[in-house]
Order: sequence, then C-alpha cells, then structure tokens
Amino acid sequence: MNHHHHHHHFVPDFETDDDYVNANTNSSSSNLPRKPIIGEEEDGDLMELLWHNGQVVLQNQRPNTKKQPLSSSAAVKLHNGAPPPPLDHNLFIQEDEMSSWLHYPLRDDDFCSDLFFPAAPSSERQTSNQVTAARPPVPSSVRPPEPSSMRPPAPSSVKPPVRNFMNFSRLRGDFTGRNGRGESGPSIAKSTVRESAKVNPSATPASSAAREPDLTRRTDGADSRGAGDLGSKSAVDGGGAYTVGHNRKGKAVVTTERTSENLGASSSVASKSEIEPLETIVDERKRKEREEVGSTECRNEEAKQGRGSSSTKRSRAAEVHNLSERKRRDRINERMKALQELIPRCNKSDKASMLDEAIEYMKSLQLQIQMMSMGCGMMPMMYTSMQQYMPHMAMGMGMGVEMGMNRPPPPPPPFMPFPNMLASQRPLPPQTRMGGYPAVQASDPSRVYGPNQQFDPNSSQAQFSGYMDPFQQFRSLHPSQPPQFQNQAASYPSSSRVSSSKESEDHGNQTTS
Amino acid sequence: MSSRRSSRSSRQSGSSRISDDQISDLVTKLQHLIPELRRRRSDKVSASKVLQETCNYIRNLHREVDDLSDRLSELLASTDDDSAEAAIIRSLLNY
Repeated sequence: MNHHHHHHHFVPDFETDDDYVNANTNSSSSNLPRKPIIGEEEDGDLMELLWHNGQVVLQNQRPNTKKQPLSSSAAVKLHNGAPPPPLDHNLFIQEDEMSSWLHYPLRDDDFCSDLFFPAAPSSERQTSNQVTAARPPVPSSVRPPEPSSMRPPAPSSVKPPVRNFMNFSRLRGDFTGRNGRGESGPSIAKSTVRESAKVNPSATPASSAAREPDLTRRTDGADSRGAGDLGSKSAVDGGGAYTVGHNRKGKAVVTTERTSENLGASSSVASKSEIEPLETIVDERKRKEREEVGSTECRNEEAKQGRGSSSTKRSRAAEVHNLSERKRRDRINERMKALQELIPRCNKSDKASMLDEAIEYMKSLQLQIQMMSMGCGMMPMMYTSMQQYMPHMAMGMGMGVEMGMNRPPPPPPPFMPFPNMLASQRPLPPQTRMGGYPAVQASDPSRVYGPNQQFDPNSSQAQFSGYMDPFQQFRSLHPSQPPQFQNQAASYPSSSRVSSSKESEDHGNQTTS
Repeated sequence: MSSRRSSRSSRQSGSSRISDDQISDLVTKLQHLIPELRRRRSDKVSASKVLQETCNYIRNLHREVDDLSDRLSELLASTDDDSAEAAIIRSLLNY
C-alpha cells in the first residue's frame, strides 16, 4: 500500500528528526520539542503527555521518572489544561483521515520497543487482558508508550499515537456524550465497549490500511488503562472538538485527535473484549504495516494469530476501497469547483444545477463562436458580393444575413453546424423566398438561446440595444418561451412580407413546439 | 458508484432532490458536448475526467471567442460604420 510507503518514508525521516526527543531524555527543555500534548502537574511532577516514538506517553518531567499512564487525576488536570496547540496542530483531523495519517508516519521500531516497555504501570490496568489475549504484549506495551513523551508534530511520530487513540476517541466520543466528564470508569468502559463494538465495523474500513492498525493497537493499550483513565479521557474529550465516535462516519481518524489528547488519559475501557474486535482488525492492519516496515513484529504476529486472516483481508479491502473512493470524490469536487469558477454568474451550490448551467453555457459558447466565425468569414464576402441582398437579408439576426449569403457560393462548412443544430428543432421548409431556411433558422437559435439580435440595415444602431449575452438569454429563456422571438418577429419591418409569414409560422410552430 | 453512495443519496433525496443518477446524466450530457470526449462514447469516462475536460474546453472556447472578437473588431474598423456589414459585426461582437 502506498500508505505503507509513506510510513516507511516518514519513519526514517522521523528518526532523523532532531526535534524528536527520546522519551528517555526527560528534561524540561527536552520535552519542548516533543510537543507535549498536554502538560500538567501531578503529584508535584510535571507530567506531560508526550509523543514518544509514536506513542503518547505520560512522562514526568523529571528524568527517569516513572512513565505511567495518566491517572484519572492527571487526566482531569489534563482536561483542565488547554489542549496544547501542538496537539491540535498535529492531530487536526480532517474529513479525510488520510491527511491526518500522512502527518504521522509510524515508527515501527519505536512502537514495538515501547510495547515492551515497562509492564509495571499498566499491569494493574490490564483489564484488557481479554482484549489483549491475542496480543498480550500489546496492552502492556501500549501503556508504557502513553507515559512516554509524545512526539512533536513531526509527521512520523504522531501517527502511531494517533492511531492508538483512534479507538479511544471513538469510544470516548461516545462516552463523552453519555458520561460527561470524569465518569466512572466502569460506565465508561461499558460505553466504550459499546462504542467500540459499534465503531468497529466502521472503523475498520475507515482507517487507512497502514495507520489504523497501529492506532487501534495503541488505543487498546490505552483502553486497558482502566476506568479511571477513561473518565479523564472523556473529560478531555469533552473539551475536544471531535466527538470521535460518531463523527466522520465513524471513521477512526476522527478519534485520532481526541485520542492523542487523551492518550495520557488512556481510555478506561475496561471491557476490552468489545474493543477487541475493532482492534483486531485494525491491529491486523497495523501488523501488516509493521511487517512491511520491518519493525519488530512481536505484536503483529500475535495479533494476527489471534485474529485470523479473513477479517484482515476484508478490512483491508474495505479500507482500500474507502480510501480510493474518497480520493475519487475529492478529485471530482475539485473539478467541480474549477468548473464553477469558469461559468460566469454561477451561483448554484448544488452539483446538478451547476452541471446544468455548465452544459448550457458550453452550448451558448459554441453557438457564439460559430456565429462569430461565420461572421468573420462572411463579412468580406458579404460586402463585396452580397450587397444587393442586404435588405432582404436583414431579417433578425446577423446569422440570418449570413445565411442569406448562402445564395451565392458560400462555404458550406459554416452552415453545416447550423443545419445540424437547428434543423432538429423544427422542420423548416427549405423553399422560401429568403431561402427561408436561413431565415427560419435564424429564429430558432434565438428561441433557444441565441442572441437577441435584430439586424435591420435601416436602423442598424437602434436594433442593437436589446442584446443580451446569449448565455444570459438562454438562462432567462430557459424556463419559458423566449421573449426575443416575439421581438424578432416584430422587428422585421423591411422583410415583413416574407419574414412575418415565416414568423407567424414560426410562432405557430413555436408555441406548439 | 458504490451502493453505499447511492443509498446515501437516496436517503438524502428528500432534502436535496439530487441523485447520483441525475448527476451522472448531466455528466454524460456534458461529455457529449465535448468533442474530445464525444468520440470515446464509452461509459467508462470518469466524471472527474469529464469535468476536467469541460474546464479545458471552456477555456478553449473563451480563447476562441476572444480571438474572433479581435478579428471582428478589425473587420469592423475596415468597414463603413453605416454599412450593414458593420451592423452585423457589431451584433456579433455584442453577442
């Protein structure tokens, strides 16, 4: 998958990123580049949610301090604290989850290493044992990452943690609505479970192949934190902009933002069992990604074994499909916007009417060009050889005049389009005084959306005042009979004998047609 | 289009009254207007491509209109202002 490549790409970049600070280097200054998601104090220590190696960890400012998941108190504090801008910046979730993923490539090796990090803090939170049944190391590993520093917005780092949070936020989003802030863990866990179960199907396809699994996995780890965390998380979530669970059509990405924030909080989804299915699929994908990245696959393997390949394939296929579908839609929307800009005075907001306008505009443009090119071609000839026909030609449109010019050897090509265009509109008696075809034809375009041009050599100037942009005319005429037709009929004084009869015929035909 | 999408639009049809079918019809019509795509006549031309070609085509048409306007203006300059010829040209220019 292309996304995997992206990850690959980012991974090395990230590793070389100077901003990325190893979780181990805990110093107040060193934390800065890590872009702590939330800085808060706990127990007198400055606890920071930092992205570390792609995972959000809660880390004390003091070096060598325990890395532990954010406790509920900490979580609350987190919540109180304004979400750090970097987090928002990094985790800005857009409709297209792809974009969020793109910024956060996965650092597999770090990811894995974190997984095996201290199991101690999370051990108690191992409620997710069931969840992690398939991947025992996952939850434990996930937890340590949380305490670890969070990565700065650097693309590579953010992604994995975000992914973890995907499940989180989804769950939390749901919780937030239900539980409010600081809900008890168990209730949250329950909701989480429901959420996860609910979100599961949607999350799976939604997440990008590469990224989702990672995030999911992490989330699970976080989830296993415990109810307390969840409460904090939901609190944080409340502050967050996204209701993860329900947003974005249940896309996992939405949760990402929330999750990242609450990562420290660690969703307290005690009932990992529910989450597990969601996780499973995501994890599967993440696993695959990891493998591709070449990182330690301890987790991957376990997850895969636990899940089975069918769900993975399905989820992956759905994921791919969704992504491509989304890309396609975006491309189309982009083009629609460009088209809208080209159409003058297009104030339609919905697609169908805009396309309608585009079609009409194109037709009118084509017609206009035809007429103009004919005029260019005919003008010199007209003056030189057709002068005697002028009075007779002066029926209505310049086009009519040019049509009249057809008597002498005219270039057939210019007239070709007209017959094709106009003949279909109404059957015209070819034998007319003016070569009625042209005259009658002249009225047709005006009826449809031709220019309201009345050519009368005797009063050439006066006739031109009522012109409208043909496209405008078309638009105004579109809903009803073109008014200009009547105007044209009335304005053919010089050739009234012929034209009026024709016009009347046309009128009759017009109305009937 | 995915079934999901059509179902979605049908769900929204009450409010938007715009269906995917309608849009695809329009896109097809548009395709037929564009000479470049008209020859293709395949149903597989993607909407995105049609839209892109439409934009290009409209830009070309604009350019042509400008060129023709220039030519007509020149022609106009060479004619008597009172002649029918001039009137025709003016009408075309004001089109």
